[in-house]
Amino acid sequence: MRAMLIKSLSNPLAMLGFIIIAAVLLFALFAPVLAPFDPDAIDVKSILLSPSPQHWMGTDGLGRDVFSRMLFGARISLLVGIVAVGIATIIGIVLGAISGYYRGWVDVLIMRLVDVMLSIPTFFLILAVIAFLTPSIWNIMIVIGLTSWMGVTRLVRAEFMSLHGREFVLASQALGARDGRLIFKHLLPNSLTPIIVSSVLGVASAVLIESGLSFLGLGVQAPQASWGNILTDGKEYIEFAWWLSLFPGLAILITVLGYNLLGEGLRDALDPRTANKSS
Amino acid sequence: MQNIQRKHAISHRLTSAFVLVFLVAGCGKQKTENDVNLETVYAPEAGGTLVDAMTGEPSGLIPMIAGESAASAVAGNIFNSLLKYDKNLELEGELATSWLVSPDQRTITFTLKPNLKWADGKALTSADVLFTWKLVTDDNTRTPYASDYKLVTKAETPNAQTFRVTYAQPYAPAMDSWAGLQILPKHLLEGQDINTTAFARQPVGSSYYKLESWRNGERISLVRNANSTQGPAKIEHLVSRFIPDAASQFLELLADNIDSMNLNPIQYARIFPARPELIKKIGLYKELGNNYTYLGFNLKHKPFDDIRVRQAINYAINKQEIIDGVLLGLGEPVSSPYKPGTRWSNPNLQPYKYDPAKAIALLKEAGFKDHNRDGILIRDGKPLAFEILTNQNKQREMSAVLIQRRLKEIGIDAKIRVMEWASFVGRFIKTGDFDVVLLGWGLSLDPDQFSIWHSSQQGPGQFNFIGYNNPQVDKLLEQGRMELDPDKRMKIYHEFASVLQEDSPIVYLFAGYGLPAIHKRVKGIDNPAPPAGIGHNSYEWYIPKPLRRTEMSSD
Repeated sequence: MRAMLIKSLSNPLAMLGFIIIAAVLLFALFAPVLAPFDPDAIDVKSILLSPSPQHWMGTDGLGRDVFSRMLFGARISLLVGIVAVGIATIIGIVLGAISGYYRGWVDVLIMRLVDVMLSIPTFFLILAVIAFLTPSIWNIMIVIGLTSWMGVTRLVRAEFMSLHGREFVLASQALGARDGRLIFKHLLPNSLTPIIVSSVLGVASAVLIESGLSFLGLGVQAPQASWGNILTDGKEYIEFAWWLSLFPGLAILITVLGYNLLGEGLRDALDPRTANKSS
Repeated sequence: MQNIQRKHAISHRLTSAFVLVFLVAGCGKQKTENDVNLETVYAPEAGGTLVDAMTGEPSGLIPMIAGESAASAVAGNIFNSLLKYDKNLELEGELATSWLVSPDQRTITFTLKPNLKWADGKALTSADVLFTWKLVTDDNTRTPYASDYKLVTKAETPNAQTFRVTYAQPYAPAMDSWAGLQILPKHLLEGQDINTTAFARQPVGSSYYKLESWRNGERISLVRNANSTQGPAKIEHLVSRFIPDAASQFLELLADNIDSMNLNPIQYARIFPARPELIKKIGLYKELGNNYTYLGFNLKHKPFDDIRVRQAINYAINKQEIIDGVLLGLGEPVSSPYKPGTRWSNPNLQPYKYDPAKAIALLKEAGFKDHNRDGILIRDGKPLAFEILTNQNKQREMSAVLIQRRLKEIGIDAKIRVMEWASFVGRFIKTGDFDVVLLGWGLSLDPDQFSIWHSSQQGPGQFNFIGYNNPQVDKLLEQGRMELDPDKRMKIYHEFASVLQEDSPIVYLFAGYGLPAIHKRVKGIDNPAPPAGIGHNSYEWYIPKPLRRTEMSSD
């Protein structure tokens, strides 16, 4: 496992992705220390100031420091991304394991459910669900999680099916291992790599969805900052206060790019077919 | 049929090619355009085209049916009413030359101007007025405006030039209502279903303009009406383009593709001053709108039934800070529910001063205390916490954030919830399921606010959704409706406003300025704007020939 991580990081792009994510994580973690201002402190005397040594990324329509808000917004974006993907991954593993291990009508049932869920455009499903709930950061995490587990389910199922006939599994079965032991000791640990890759890529799309929802006013609610709603605030002033659109836009772009680079790098390193090519 | 469509497609392609050429040519021409001095004084002359922008497309052009601001903005140029407001907001005749109120104040007799004509050349008579009244009071007509006209017990037309209405008892808002009812042509609408008639898309009116063309999703063009009952307007064509997004409107204004739009405070106070080349070609105006923004309490919910809580919140909110921060100073504080500076606004009232100490004292008196020292006040085991609901409106959202912070300073935990307008009204306003709302009232010019404040108006969908119930106010509102003498009426509404002020069922936040920007090629605009607003004499505006833009024929 560790060897694979090192191997994947030897790919310069994956390394770049790793650095980006590590940096964003550090910024988010130490936001209270790094932020020069209280992110919610309003100052009507310094509305829409352009970037300066005092306000690195300028101020917004209520005179709040954009840099501080960006730092705290990073927390929201990452939290939503990671928790939502966590939920999706857990659901995906459970359903995929049941489906791939027991097969039969359970498998058919779960796979048809996956097909149904995949046939609905996720973003619009989320929009529809959020419209009925109070928009809050927790609801968003849950809803994103509940609508993006299908990929993981399919991966785990396929992985389980291919592992099912392998010798070590058969041996274990012959020794009288129960279902639980087989699943958790043998099948699951051996299917972890594709799950990790898809989770990392999943975080990227969850960050995008959260930004999209907040941009539409259905995500994180004022006065809490998120990259998406800083971007919305900026929309109105775009031809005048470019800094309100540029920085959150860049932050979203770079973070999503980081996750994608890392995810792709991991996949290349973990996939034996491409691994040979790259080494 | 197919042929026609084909031709259309081709002409579209031709237009876009033409636009391209025009744009390219525009770049080279810029210098000569700048050479035209927009400040030169020109004599008024007829002709030219004024292009403005609208955020929404009207659903139809019969204002009593459409009931939306987009429709009334266009229809106001096409139809006339019996009366209208002059530049100082006093009533004068429009189709009527005079009107007479009977001594018992129950009957009003309107005399129409002689020789009125519809745009199609047919005569406009009192029969059309009677027809329109019947239409608006007909139960099959789906209009929100019927109530005023249903109070008329008898309407008659003694002759072609006279229209007489009788009320069961004196009704002061009647005059205003006759300035609001746009007269429709009987000869074109008789026997038709007004709710679905094709007339809504090809209206024939009597005012300065008539419909020239209407392209769905794109624009409505009006052209001067040769038979106008009000005399000829100067500008030949009025074009309204539908541009839903305010930021795109602004880009179109800068690109000289539209002549006028309403600015927001940032554009007015920040962008324009920073760009002298814009000031050179675009004129900025300021007019106080007839509306105000407020924070309203649900008086049926605890703790807002307690006057001390309402007053405390009123003292805790810094209104000047909101005006400076959200409107960049382009607003006025409000202390009665009328446009500041008008006759109905009580000049002796002052807004609640920002005084957090007093707010804290009032809350303490009401029994609130921070028992667990978490910064939030508690009474009877319940924290002083509520949700401020508002719709997706940048100014309201920003005001809510400012209010939230000030309330937190005195120990009130307010959350903000921003909703899309239709679901906001459907789920919260109509059901009364809210604590605090941040909204605005757009007002008519008549001071009667029976529907907003009278205790009888609390049903689902009615306007007194905050549940205000004050017998004294009820009585004043009833008196105000019956009193036709303007001075006596003014006293009644001044008293009404001072009761409201003391009772604090809502916190007045501000009245914002409307900020029209109009290209300097348009001349004849009154500046500063009179009480009736900048558009009151738009039919006198003119565009001198040298300043007209190179016109592209629209068809």
